[in-house]
Amino acid sequence: MSARDEILNKLRSRSRQPDTHPPAWRSRRHFDDLAERFAESLGKSKGEVIRAGSLDEAFEQLDQTLLALGARCVVANDEPPLSQIDLAARWPGMQWHIVGRTPGDLRGFCATADAGVSSVVAALAETGSVVVTSGPGKSRLATLLPPVHIALVPESCLTADLYTFTAARQGPPPAMQTLISGPSKTADIEQTMAVGVHGPKRFIVILYRD
Amino acid sequence: MTEVTFKQFRSAAAGAIADPRLQSAIDGATLKFRTERHHALTELPDVDAMRDQLKAIRAATLSRLADHLETFERQATATGAKVHWARDAAEANQIAIDIARQHGVELIVKTKSMATEETHLNHALIDAGITPVETDLGEWIIQLAGEPPSHIVGPALHKTRQQVAELFSKEVGRELDPDDIPGLTAEARRLLREKFLAAGLGITGANLAVAETGSIVLVTNEGNGRLVTSAPPVQIALVGIEKIAPTWDDAAVWLQLLARSSTGQPLSIYTTAITGPAKADDPDGPREVHIILMDNGRSNQIGTGYEEVLECIRCGACLNACPVYQEVGGHSYGNPYSGPIGAVLVPLLFGLKEYEALPHASSLCTACLDACPVRINLPRMLLDLRRDEVQGRMLSPVERFIEQAAAYVLGHYRLYRLLTGTARIFQRPLVRGRFLRVPRRVNPAGERDLPSLAKRSFHDLWDEIR
Repeated sequence: MSARDEILNKLRSRSRQPDTHPPAWRSRRHFDDLAERFAESLGKSKGEVIRAGSLDEAFEQLDQTLLALGARCVVANDEPPLSQIDLAARWPGMQWHIVGRTPGDLRGFCATADAGVSSVVAALAETGSVVVTSGPGKSRLATLLPPVHIALVPESCLTADLYTFTAARQGPPPAMQTLISGPSKTADIEQTMAVGVHGPKRFIVILYRD
Repeated sequence: MTEVTFKQFRSAAAGAIADPRLQSAIDGATLKFRTERHHALTELPDVDAMRDQLKAIRAATLSRLADHLETFERQATATGAKVHWARDAAEANQIAIDIARQHGVELIVKTKSMATEETHLNHALIDAGITPVETDLGEWIIQLAGEPPSHIVGPALHKTRQQVAELFSKEVGRELDPDDIPGLTAEARRLLREKFLAAGLGITGANLAVAETGSIVLVTNEGNGRLVTSAPPVQIALVGIEKIAPTWDDAAVWLQLLARSSTGQPLSIYTTAITGPAKADDPDGPREVHIILMDNGRSNQIGTGYEEVLECIRCGACLNACPVYQEVGGHSYGNPYSGPIGAVLVPLLFGLKEYEALPHASSLCTACLDACPVRINLPRMLLDLRRDEVQGRMLSPVERFIEQAAAYVLGHYRLYRLLTGTARIFQRPLVRGRFLRVPRRVNPAGERDLPSLAKRSFHDLWDEIR
């Protein structure tokens, strides 16, 4: 008998009377101001939040952030709202890799880029988390290998918590979906917090009204 | 198969207790974990109801585990992942080695995984000529030191920064400053980054696996879980068969309590769900995903009084709460699973005879029950295991005789009165205060003080009071 059948048969022959599965847990959290809570929570885990009143203002904030970083090589996922503008024309002094559009070695570019820019599919107010996924034009490494990850987050994609996000799911999930709640960190040496162990050292969210 | 006899446990525990540096490391770490867990849980307005919900989810899932595993297999296969089944550790390791060989892999990057610790996968890979590199910082430290983890969540919490600096200095070939912890972390980032980009295979465990979509969920703070599942072209996840969440609604409760109970964070920095290999139009990600579902003694618990142990989500809260763990440290348990959960799980999975001392590594204070997000009744199971030892005649003949004699005496009132009365007279030369002065070698209570019998028994006093 295969290992599979042996394990499943054993489980079936031993199982007790099945319990009724409990109904799904629904969120009991309510936040008067989702954006406020999001910014507060993300701040607690060393993430940075920049508020912007509009998409145009969000791009201006992106300009200033990249300028302040002194970024020369930037990788960007090809997704709205980033795909709405011509990044290379806006920042002629920088070398851009637009995922799926710029030819060449994506992985190598990500490994040496100064920053990665992406959008998100959702943001959770309770925990100050954003959700990024894989997909066409959406690189996993772009938000992971560079020392800084900048995410453009419209306020309309805010939801209360993990439960409201999960309850709204539709269809099969993408191959990769990650909730990001701050910069990469560790406390493995004497419980002392250190940021940027493997992932980005800085996680900057530009939260804009839309 | 290793073992932990009473003698081995005592000597390991005595060593740990006599090591002041280790004691302060464990005290500091467990206190921090406990404090942050407390803040994170009390911040939730409905935490008790949520824990009840998780308990109900876990118990119901285990009562129909075969069905959920089949759903998981069907869904994962539909996404393009390959599902393998392993009866035991040796089969699981062999499957991983075969996949690595098929792809001609020489270097593997790994995330921290209790399942791979359990199967000693790294040893098996090295024996097969393949190099595994642990990428969780704590796990990498103990890999360099050649030691097992001492805590489910903080595997290297017993290591000082001086020891870490020494290990890293050897790796980079120059002296590193132990007081510069960000500097040490930066060195690890640089060294391990090269490994991530060079590895042909990534191996992970799974914090949980979601049946309805065939997804593997990984929780990390460092981002190594994301890198291991993004950079190498092939990925393997080794998953215990009990780690199934039927739906994403169930997974959300699990994740909500996991991070808060383990490190006291609302969520870990990265919670990553992998659902099959990268799609054809994804710009990056693994082209092949293998999932190994491993039994290794778990199915033996189904339908028994120990089924509850499989509800564990490996948050480590019981370790941090346990007064015994805090004194003896993780290594005394002789297994990667330490603390109260280890004391129950290890004898059940790997043999009560071999790990006879572990059910006794507890004061039965029930702090672990209070701390457990799934409310697993570890104290009850510790007692049940002790009962099994007696009924299975695993104790020494001398101990059996003493216990049977004691049971007989306690069951016969007149005999009990006669013997305690006699003992009261004969103990007189040995009494010092409330204790008996007995040479340590013959003290039946071991290292502990042996209390003397009271001058007058409660029975005698009761007659007067009445």
